[in-house]
Amino acid sequence: MNEEQYIGFENYLNNDMPSEEKIIFEERLTSDAEFRESFELYKETTKFLDAKFSTETIDFKENLKSVSKDYFAENTKSKPKVIAFRPFYFAIAASLAIAFGAWFMMQQNPSYSDYNQHETAIFMERSNADVNVKNAQDFFNKKEYQKAVASFEKIENLTNTEMQYFYGISLIEVNDFVKGELFLNNIKGGNSIYKDKATWNLALSKLKQKKYEDCKKFLKEIPADAEDYSKAQELLKKLE
Amino acid sequence: MSEIKVHPDQLYIDGLLQNNSKVIQEIYKKFVPKAKFYIRNNSGNDDDAQDVIQEVLVTIYNQATIKGLQLSCPFDAYFFLLCKRRWLNELKKPTNKEVTINDENVSIDVNVQEMTFETENFDEKQSLFDEMFQKLGEKCQEVLKLSFVLKTMEEVAAKLNVTYGYVRKKKSLCTGQLTEMIQQSGKYKSIKY
Repeated sequence: MNEEQYIGFENYLNNDMPSEEKIIFEERLTSDAEFRESFELYKETTKFLDAKFSTETIDFKENLKSVSKDYFAENTKSKPKVIAFRPFYFAIAASLAIAFGAWFMMQQNPSYSDYNQHETAIFMERSNADVNVKNAQDFFNKKEYQKAVASFEKIENLTNTEMQYFYGISLIEVNDFVKGELFLNNIKGGNSIYKDKATWNLALSKLKQKKYEDCKKFLKEIPADAEDYSKAQELLKKLE
Repeated sequence: MSEIKVHPDQLYIDGLLQNNSKVIQEIYKKFVPKAKFYIRNNSGNDDDAQDVIQEVLVTIYNQATIKGLQLSCPFDAYFFLLCKRRWLNELKKPTNKEVTINDENVSIDVNVQEMTFETENFDEKQSLFDEMFQKLGEKCQEVLKLSFVLKTMEEVAAKLNVTYGYVRKKKSLCTGQLTEMIQQSGKYKSIKY
């Protein structure tokens, strides 16, 4: 190793060389290609070492690392927000909406109160003798079913299908299902104009008791020409 | 390296050189997503992307520091090509087998190619320097490191508990030894430009 040469390189680079020596050095740089190449490499090596160990480079690397870390942390954070996070919430929201909807419909669909708009009872045209008949009619029309039931019970001879029909409905309204259904089943088994209406109200009775399968069974028995057919089909659809 | 037209994007190089956080953040915001996307699309993950991108930026910084890098093409294309090629080289390593490369054959501007090769060449050279430095004796490594970390050679002498003259001489000789090792390596001739 040419020790003197390297010491010379170092001194020249540090501008630590007597002027006469410097002149000779610079002359040799122009004339001696090998010397020049050695010096260039020495200079370059010094720069590399400087770049490698200088505090500026270390600071830069640190700064770069922190910017990079922030960037990638932010991106991995926001990524699931866009791709996974939100759909997750949407999925929950959708599930909740469906669950609520289903619950709401389950509550609403088979609700007896949606369908218990009974026709008006008009008994008086045919019978005006019994005050109980009039009371039953009036209480029924006023939807005071407890009182209507009490009045119906006082009617001595309840053979009239029409009255039996309204009595049955009243009984179902006051949750006396067994008795009410007994009356309605009788009417259903007969041939009166209340036959299909009785079936419809039997379905409603089952609906009120949340016996949906039984309800559907009655609904399906209602013929297409019946007055309540469309309502029956509608309810059937909601129950399916 | 004579009359090159400096591209306005030189501001990114200067920003790196000045360790300007705002510029570095802007580079991440503007140019990193594309490189990240490419790496992730080619068998890489976020960590790979993070490493490759940092390495490329350090190389650019070093080239700017040591060689006074002058950008003659858009930073976007130059940076992306560097990241892409660096990642492809990473994939070629024997430890990474069975990879799929989704590469659309886009024609690359000659200027961008030249800039990229220049930087890659520089990077190779730097790797050779680093490699050789590691092969130096322990004492040489210590003296060299301290003489660049510490402000003055007096401080280095005090730190090592030796004389100023000794440290000065040691530094010259160690640097000289390093240059000889570099010169003698087979790689040096292939990289030399």
